[in-house]
Amino acid sequence: MVKVYSFESCPWCNKVKNYLKARGVEFETRDIELSEEAAAECQKISGDLTVPVTTIDGVHYVLGFDKKKIDELLASA
Amino acid sequence: MKERIHKDVVIIGAGMAGLTAALYCGRMNLDTLVLENGLIGGQIANAVAIENYPGFVSVNGGDLIATVQKQAETFGAVIDEFDEIEKVTLKTSPKIIETQEKIYEADAVIIASGMNRRKLPLPEEKKFAGRGVHYCELCDGHAYDGKVIAVAGGGNAAVDAANFLTKYATKLYLIHRSQFRADEVSQKRLRANDKVTIMLQTDIKALRGDKKLKEVEVFDKTTGETKTLAIDGIFVNIGVEPNTKLFKDELTLTASGRIPASEDCRTELAGVFAAGDVREKEVRQLTTAAADGTTAALLAEKYLAKLKVAI
Repeated sequence: MVKVYSFESCPWCNKVKNYLKARGVEFETRDIELSEEAAAECQKISGDLTVPVTTIDGVHYVLGFDKKKIDELLASA
Repeated sequence: MKERIHKDVVIIGAGMAGLTAALYCGRMNLDTLVLENGLIGGQIANAVAIENYPGFVSVNGGDLIATVQKQAETFGAVIDEFDEIEKVTLKTSPKIIETQEKIYEADAVIIASGMNRRKLPLPEEKKFAGRGVHYCELCDGHAYDGKVIAVAGGGNAAVDAANFLTKYATKLYLIHRSQFRADEVSQKRLRANDKVTIMLQTDIKALRGDKKLKEVEVFDKTTGETKTLAIDGIFVNIGVEPNTKLFKDELTLTASGRIPASEDCRTELAGVFAAGDVREKEVRQLTTAAADGTTAALLAEKYLAKLKVAI
Protein backbone atom coordinates (compact mmCIF):
# COMPACT_ATOMS: atom_id res chain seq x y z
CA MET A 1 0.00 0.00 0.00
CA VAL A 2 1.24 3.48 -0.90
CA LYS A 3 1.51 5.78 2.11
CA VAL A 4 1.64 9.56 1.93
CA TYR A 5 2.99 11.30 5.02
CA SER A 6 1.39 14.70 4.96
CA PHE A 7 -0.99 17.07 6.70
CA GLU A 8 -4.18 18.71 5.60
CA SER A 9 -3.15 22.30 4.87
CA CYS A 10 0.07 21.40 3.02
CA PRO A 11 -0.41 22.34 -0.68
CA TRP A 12 2.31 20.07 -2.09
CA CYS A 13 0.94 17.15 -0.03
CA ASN A 14 -2.44 17.73 -1.63
CA LYS A 15 -0.82 17.80 -5.05
CA VAL A 16 0.77 14.38 -4.44
CA LYS A 17 -2.56 12.96 -3.24
CA ASN A 18 -4.42 14.45 -6.23
CA TYR A 19 -1.85 12.92 -8.56
CA LEU A 20 -2.26 9.47 -7.03
CA LYS A 21 -6.05 9.83 -7.27
CA ALA A 22 -5.74 10.91 -10.94
CA ARG A 23 -3.66 7.79 -11.61
CA GLY A 24 -6.16 5.60 -9.77
CA VAL A 25 -3.60 4.58 -7.16
CA GLU A 26 -4.96 3.63 -3.74
CA PHE A 27 -3.05 5.18 -0.89
CA GLU A 28 -3.15 5.71 2.84
CA THR A 29 -2.83 9.22 4.22
CA ARG A 30 -0.61 9.35 7.31
CA ASP A 31 -1.29 12.76 8.91
CA ILE A 32 1.77 13.83 10.86
CA GLU A 33 -0.10 16.65 12.61
CA LEU A 34 -2.92 14.46 13.89
CA SER A 35 -0.89 11.36 14.73
CA GLU A 36 2.32 11.23 16.75
CA GLU A 37 2.80 7.69 15.48
CA ALA A 38 2.66 8.90 11.85
CA ALA A 39 5.13 11.70 12.66
CA ALA A 40 7.52 9.19 14.23
CA GLU A 41 7.24 6.92 11.17
CA CYS A 42 7.94 9.86 8.85
CA GLN A 43 10.96 10.86 10.92
CA LYS A 44 12.24 7.29 10.74
CA ILE A 45 11.80 7.04 6.95
CA SER A 46 13.27 10.35 5.82
CA GLY A 47 15.09 11.51 8.94
CA ASP A 48 12.92 14.60 9.01
CA LEU A 49 9.38 15.92 9.28
CA THR A 50 9.43 17.71 5.94
CA VAL A 51 6.49 16.51 3.86
CA PRO A 52 5.04 15.16 1.60
CA VAL A 53 6.86 11.86 1.87
CA THR A 54 5.55 9.10 -0.39
CA THR A 55 6.61 5.51 0.22
CA ILE A 56 5.52 1.96 -0.38
CA ASP A 57 8.00 -0.11 1.58
CA GLY A 58 8.89 2.43 4.27
CA VAL A 59 12.48 2.48 3.03
CA HIS A 60 12.48 4.05 -0.44
CA TYR A 61 10.62 7.34 -0.53
CA VAL A 62 9.99 10.47 -2.58
CA LEU A 63 10.22 13.82 -0.84
CA GLY A 64 7.98 16.56 -2.26
CA PHE A 65 6.05 16.38 -5.52
CA ASP A 66 8.22 14.87 -8.24
CA LYS A 67 6.05 13.16 -10.84
CA LYS A 68 8.91 11.24 -12.43
CA LYS A 69 10.20 9.91 -9.11
CA ILE A 70 6.69 9.00 -7.92
CA ASP A 71 6.10 7.12 -11.20
CA GLU A 72 9.39 5.25 -10.69
CA LEU A 73 8.45 4.43 -7.10
CA LEU A 74 5.06 3.07 -8.21
CA ALA A 75 6.66 1.09 -11.04
CA SER A 76 9.11 -0.51 -8.63
CA ALA A 77 6.30 -1.98 -6.49
CA MET B 1 2.46 9.46 -31.03
CA LYS B 2 0.85 12.18 -28.93
CA GLU B 3 -2.88 12.83 -29.23
CA ARG B 4 -3.80 16.17 -30.89
CA ILE B 5 -6.66 18.06 -29.25
CA HIS B 6 -8.27 21.33 -30.30
CA LYS B 7 -9.28 23.95 -27.71
CA ASP B 8 -10.80 27.42 -28.10
CA VAL B 9 -8.55 28.74 -25.35
CA VAL B 10 -5.57 27.33 -23.52
CA ILE B 11 -4.64 29.20 -20.35
CA ILE B 12 -1.10 28.68 -19.13
CA GLY B 13 -0.99 28.95 -15.35
CA ALA B 14 -3.61 28.36 -12.65
CA GLY B 15 -2.97 31.25 -10.30
CA MET B 16 -5.56 33.94 -9.65
CA ALA B 17 -5.18 35.46 -13.15
CA GLY B 18 -5.41 32.12 -14.96
CA LEU B 19 -8.31 30.78 -12.94
CA THR B 20 -10.27 34.04 -13.25
CA ALA B 21 -9.71 33.91 -17.01
CA ALA B 22 -10.90 30.26 -16.96
CA LEU B 23 -14.02 31.25 -15.02
CA TYR B 24 -14.90 33.94 -17.58
CA CYS B 25 -14.02 31.76 -20.59
CA GLY B 26 -16.11 28.94 -19.15
CA ARG B 27 -19.09 31.25 -18.65
CA MET B 28 -18.77 32.31 -22.31
CA ASN B 29 -19.02 28.65 -23.34
CA LEU B 30 -15.49 28.56 -24.70
CA ASP B 31 -13.80 25.15 -24.71
CA THR B 32 -11.15 26.02 -22.12
CA LEU B 33 -8.13 24.17 -20.78
CA VAL B 34 -5.87 25.40 -17.99
CA LEU B 35 -2.39 23.91 -17.73
CA GLU B 36 -0.37 24.29 -14.53
CA ASN B 37 3.12 22.95 -13.93
CA GLY B 38 3.33 23.89 -10.26
CA LEU B 39 0.70 24.46 -7.60
CA ILE B 40 -2.86 25.48 -8.44
CA GLY B 41 -3.09 28.94 -6.92
CA GLY B 42 0.51 29.83 -7.65
CA GLN B 43 2.04 32.17 -5.12
CA ILE B 44 -1.08 32.47 -2.98
CA ALA B 45 -1.39 28.71 -2.48
CA ASN B 46 1.08 29.20 0.36
CA ALA B 47 -0.53 32.33 1.81
CA VAL B 48 -1.84 31.71 5.31
CA ALA B 49 -4.05 34.79 5.55
CA ILE B 50 -4.93 37.24 2.79
CA GLU B 51 -6.31 40.46 4.22
CA ASN B 52 -6.36 42.70 1.15
CA TYR B 53 -8.73 40.86 -1.16
CA PRO B 54 -12.11 42.63 -1.22
CA GLY B 55 -15.01 40.66 0.22
CA PHE B 56 -12.95 38.88 2.88
CA VAL B 57 -11.73 40.19 6.23
CA SER B 58 -9.11 37.43 6.12
CA VAL B 59 -8.98 34.36 3.92
CA ASN B 60 -6.56 31.47 3.59
CA GLY B 61 -4.90 31.45 0.12
CA GLY B 62 -5.63 27.77 -0.44
CA ASP B 63 -9.31 28.21 0.47
CA LEU B 64 -9.71 31.27 -1.76
CA ILE B 65 -8.12 29.61 -4.75
CA ALA B 66 -10.08 26.38 -4.23
CA THR B 67 -13.26 28.45 -4.52
CA VAL B 68 -12.12 30.14 -7.74
CA GLN B 69 -11.06 26.73 -9.11
CA LYS B 70 -14.51 25.35 -8.32
CA GLN B 71 -16.14 28.35 -10.03
CA ALA B 72 -14.04 27.81 -13.17
CA GLU B 73 -14.73 24.07 -13.24
CA THR B 74 -18.46 24.61 -12.63
CA PHE B 75 -18.59 26.55 -15.90
CA GLY B 76 -16.78 23.84 -17.82
CA ALA B 77 -13.11 24.80 -17.73
CA VAL B 78 -10.77 21.82 -17.42
CA ILE B 79 -7.65 22.13 -15.27
CA ASP B 80 -4.69 19.78 -15.74
CA GLU B 81 -1.93 20.16 -13.14
CA PHE B 82 0.02 17.02 -14.01
CA ASP B 83 0.79 17.24 -17.73
CA GLU B 84 3.79 19.54 -17.94
CA ILE B 85 4.21 21.88 -20.92
CA GLU B 86 7.32 21.15 -22.96
CA LYS B 87 7.05 23.61 -25.84
CA VAL B 88 4.84 26.38 -27.17
CA THR B 89 4.49 27.78 -30.70
CA LEU B 90 2.52 31.00 -30.59
CA LYS B 91 3.24 32.66 -33.94
CA THR B 92 1.07 30.20 -35.88
CA SER B 93 -2.69 29.84 -36.12
CA PRO B 94 -3.78 27.77 -34.30
CA LYS B 95 -1.17 28.06 -31.57
CA ILE B 96 0.48 24.82 -30.48
CA ILE B 97 1.07 23.79 -26.87
CA GLU B 98 2.93 20.55 -26.54
CA THR B 99 2.83 18.79 -23.17
CA GLN B 100 4.49 15.60 -21.98
CA GLU B 101 1.44 13.61 -23.10
CA LYS B 102 -0.54 15.67 -25.66
CA ILE B 103 -0.44 18.32 -28.36
CA TYR B 104 -3.02 21.06 -27.95
CA GLU B 105 -4.06 23.34 -30.81
CA ALA B 106 -5.56 26.53 -29.42
CA ASP B 107 -7.16 29.45 -31.24
CA ALA B 108 -6.26 31.75 -28.35
CA VAL B 109 -3.72 31.51 -25.56
CA ILE B 110 -3.75 33.37 -22.26
CA ILE B 111 -0.37 33.35 -20.54
CA ALA B 112 -0.81 33.63 -16.78
CA SER B 113 2.27 31.72 -15.75
CA GLY B 114 3.08 34.04 -12.86
CA MET B 115 6.29 34.07 -10.90
CA ASN B 116 8.65 31.57 -9.32
CA ARG B 117 10.29 32.08 -5.96
CA ARG B 118 13.92 33.15 -6.20
CA LYS B 119 16.35 30.72 -4.63
CA LEU B 120 18.96 31.73 -2.09
CA PRO B 121 21.98 32.64 -4.24
CA LEU B 122 24.58 30.68 -2.28
CA PRO B 123 26.58 27.64 -3.42
CA GLU B 124 25.42 25.62 -0.38
CA GLU B 125 21.73 26.19 -1.18
CA LYS B 126 21.40 22.91 -3.09
CA LYS B 127 23.08 20.90 -0.35
CA PHE B 128 20.63 22.13 2.29
CA ALA B 129 17.45 22.42 0.17
CA GLY B 130 14.81 20.50 2.14
CA ARG B 131 17.42 19.96 4.87
CA GLY B 132 17.19 23.29 6.59
CA VAL B 133 16.57 25.56 3.60
CA HIS B 134 12.87 25.81 2.76
CA TYR B 135 10.54 27.74 0.48
CA CYS B 136 7.12 26.68 1.82
CA GLU B 137 6.38 27.67 5.40
CA LEU B 138 2.97 26.02 5.26
CA CYS B 139 4.48 22.66 4.25
CA ASP B 140 7.62 22.65 6.34
CA GLY B 141 7.07 25.10 9.21
CA HIS B 142 5.73 22.44 11.58
CA ALA B 143 9.03 20.55 11.32
CA TYR B 144 10.58 23.44 13.27
CA ASP B 145 8.29 23.37 16.29
CA GLY B 146 10.37 24.46 19.27
CA LYS B 147 13.33 25.33 17.07
CA VAL B 148 15.24 28.44 15.99
CA ILE B 149 14.12 29.69 12.59
CA ALA B 150 15.37 32.39 10.23
CA VAL B 151 13.39 34.02 7.44
CA ALA B 152 15.20 35.68 4.55
CA GLY B 153 13.47 38.60 2.87
CA GLY B 154 11.67 41.84 3.64
CA GLY B 155 8.59 41.95 1.43
CA ASN B 156 5.02 40.99 2.30
CA ALA B 157 5.60 37.28 1.64
CA ALA B 158 8.64 37.19 3.94
CA VAL B 159 7.05 39.13 6.79
CA ASP B 160 3.82 37.14 6.56
CA ALA B 161 5.88 33.91 6.58
CA ALA B 162 7.79 35.16 9.63
CA ASN B 163 4.57 36.04 11.45
CA PHE B 164 3.20 32.57 10.68
CA LEU B 165 6.40 30.79 11.76
CA THR B 166 6.47 32.49 15.17
CA LYS B 167 3.86 29.95 16.24
CA TYR B 168 6.54 27.24 15.95
CA ALA B 169 9.79 29.08 16.66
CA THR B 170 11.34 29.60 20.05
CA LYS B 171 13.40 32.31 18.38
CA LEU B 172 13.04 33.82 14.91
CA TYR B 173 15.47 35.98 12.94
CA LEU B 174 14.18 38.05 10.05
CA ILE B 175 17.18 38.77 7.83
CA HIS B 176 16.94 41.22 4.95
CA ARG B 177 19.57 42.85 2.78
CA SER B 178 17.87 46.29 2.71
CA GLN B 179 14.82 47.97 4.26
CA PHE B 180 11.33 46.51 4.72
CA ARG B 181 9.00 46.56 1.72
CA ALA B 182 6.18 44.80 3.56
CA ASP B 183 2.91 46.48 4.52
CA GLU B 184 3.10 48.45 7.75
CA VAL B 185 0.41 46.32 9.43
CA SER B 186 2.44 43.09 8.91
CA GLN B 187 5.66 44.79 10.08
CA LYS B 188 3.97 46.01 13.25
CA ARG B 189 2.72 42.51 14.04
CA LEU B 190 6.23 41.13 13.66
CA ARG B 191 7.92 43.87 15.68
CA ALA B 192 5.47 43.27 18.54
CA ASN B 193 6.56 39.64 18.92
CA ASP B 194 9.23 39.09 21.62
CA LYS B 195 10.63 36.00 19.88
CA VAL B 196 11.65 38.02 16.83
CA THR B 197 14.95 39.71 16.05
CA ILE B 198 14.85 41.85 12.91
CA MET B 199 18.14 42.23 11.06
CA LEU B 200 17.86 44.76 8.23
CA GLN B 201 20.72 45.86 5.96
CA THR B 202 22.13 42.38 6.51
CA ASP B 203 23.44 39.95 3.89
CA ILE B 204 23.47 36.18 4.28
CA LYS B 205 26.99 35.14 3.39
CA ALA B 206 27.13 31.39 4.05
CA LEU B 207 25.16 28.36 5.17
CA ARG B 208 26.87 25.73 7.33
CA GLY B 209 26.11 22.29 8.69
CA ASP B 210 26.76 18.61 8.10
CA LYS B 211 23.73 16.79 6.73
CA LYS B 212 21.40 19.50 7.99
CA LEU B 213 21.75 23.25 8.24
CA LYS B 214 23.13 24.36 11.59
CA GLU B 215 24.16 27.97 11.18
CA VAL B 216 24.20 30.98 8.90
CA GLU B 217 26.86 33.60 8.56
CA VAL B 218 25.51 37.12 8.19
CA PHE B 219 27.11 40.48 7.48
CA ASP B 220 25.63 43.64 8.98
CA LYS B 221 26.24 46.34 6.36
CA THR B 222 25.58 49.15 8.84
CA THR B 223 28.13 48.10 11.49
CA GLY B 224 30.45 46.10 9.22
CA GLU B 225 30.16 43.20 11.67
CA THR B 226 30.05 39.51 10.67
CA LYS B 227 28.02 37.17 12.90
CA THR B 228 27.23 33.48 13.02
CA LEU B 229 23.67 32.57 14.01
CA ALA B 230 22.86 29.07 15.23
CA ILE B 231 19.58 28.15 13.52
CA ASP B 232 17.69 24.99 12.67
CA GLY B 233 16.08 26.17 9.46
CA ILE B 234 15.74 29.12 7.12
CA PHE B 235 12.67 29.99 5.06
CA VAL B 236 13.53 31.93 1.94
CA ASN B 237 11.25 34.68 0.63
CA ILE B 238 13.66 36.91 -1.28
CA GLY B 239 11.43 37.73 -4.17
CA VAL B 240 10.21 36.17 -7.34
CA GLU B 241 11.13 35.97 -11.00
CA PRO B 242 8.80 35.78 -13.98
CA ASN B 243 8.03 32.31 -15.27
CA THR B 244 8.62 33.10 -18.95
CA LYS B 245 11.34 30.66 -20.01
CA LEU B 246 8.86 28.82 -22.26
CA PHE B 247 8.08 31.96 -24.22
CA LYS B 248 11.49 33.52 -24.80
CA ASP B 249 11.68 32.41 -28.44
CA GLU B 250 8.08 33.35 -29.18
CA LEU B 251 7.60 36.75 -27.57
CA THR B 252 9.77 39.77 -26.90
CA LEU B 253 10.35 40.00 -23.16
CA THR B 254 11.13 43.10 -21.11
CA ALA B 255 14.42 43.61 -19.29
CA SER B 256 12.87 42.06 -16.17
CA GLY B 257 11.81 38.98 -18.16
CA ARG B 258 8.11 39.82 -18.19
CA ILE B 259 5.77 40.00 -21.18
CA PRO B 260 5.04 43.48 -22.53
CA ALA B 261 1.30 44.08 -22.85
CA SER B 262 -0.87 47.05 -21.98
CA GLU B 263 -4.00 47.14 -19.81
CA ASP B 264 -5.88 45.20 -22.51
CA CYS B 265 -3.48 42.27 -21.94
CA ARG B 266 -2.88 41.93 -25.70
CA THR B 267 0.68 40.91 -26.59
CA GLU B 268 2.50 41.57 -29.85
CA LEU B 269 1.00 38.31 -31.22
CA ALA B 270 -2.66 38.22 -32.28
CA GLY B 271 -4.63 35.84 -30.09
CA VAL B 272 -2.00 35.72 -27.36
CA PHE B 273 -2.75 37.53 -24.10
CA ALA B 274 -0.67 38.05 -20.96
CA ALA B 275 -2.39 38.28 -17.58
CA GLY B 276 -1.32 38.69 -13.97
CA ASP B 277 2.17 39.09 -12.57
CA VAL B 278 3.81 37.84 -15.76
CA ARG B 279 2.62 40.99 -17.58
CA GLU B 280 4.93 43.99 -17.35
CA LYS B 281 3.14 46.51 -15.15
CA GLU B 282 3.73 48.65 -12.10
CA VAL B 283 1.23 47.15 -9.65
CA ARG B 284 1.12 43.40 -9.07
CA GLN B 285 -1.54 42.39 -6.57
CA LEU B 286 -4.05 39.59 -6.25
CA THR B 287 -6.81 42.03 -7.19
CA THR B 288 -4.97 43.16 -10.34
CA ALA B 289 -4.32 39.52 -11.29
CA ALA B 290 -8.07 38.87 -11.14
CA ALA B 291 -8.67 42.02 -13.19
CA ASP B 292 -6.15 40.91 -15.82
CA GLY B 293 -7.73 37.46 -16.01
CA THR B 294 -11.10 39.08 -16.63
CA THR B 295 -9.78 41.42 -19.33
CA ALA B 296 -7.79 38.72 -21.12
CA ALA B 297 -10.76 36.33 -21.20
CA LEU B 298 -13.23 38.92 -22.50
CA LEU B 299 -10.83 40.12 -25.21
CA ALA B 300 -9.88 36.54 -26.13
CA GLU B 301 -13.59 35.86 -26.71
CA LYS B 302 -13.78 38.98 -28.94
CA TYR B 303 -10.73 37.76 -30.86
CA LEU B 304 -12.25 34.30 -31.33
CA ALA B 305 -15.56 35.78 -32.54
CA LYS B 306 -13.69 37.79 -35.20
CA LEU B 307 -11.65 34.75 -36.15
CA LYS B 308 -14.82 32.73 -36.76
CA VAL B 309 -16.26 35.50 -38.97
CA ALA B 310 -13.02 35.62 -40.98
CA ILE B 311 -13.22 31.84 -41.59
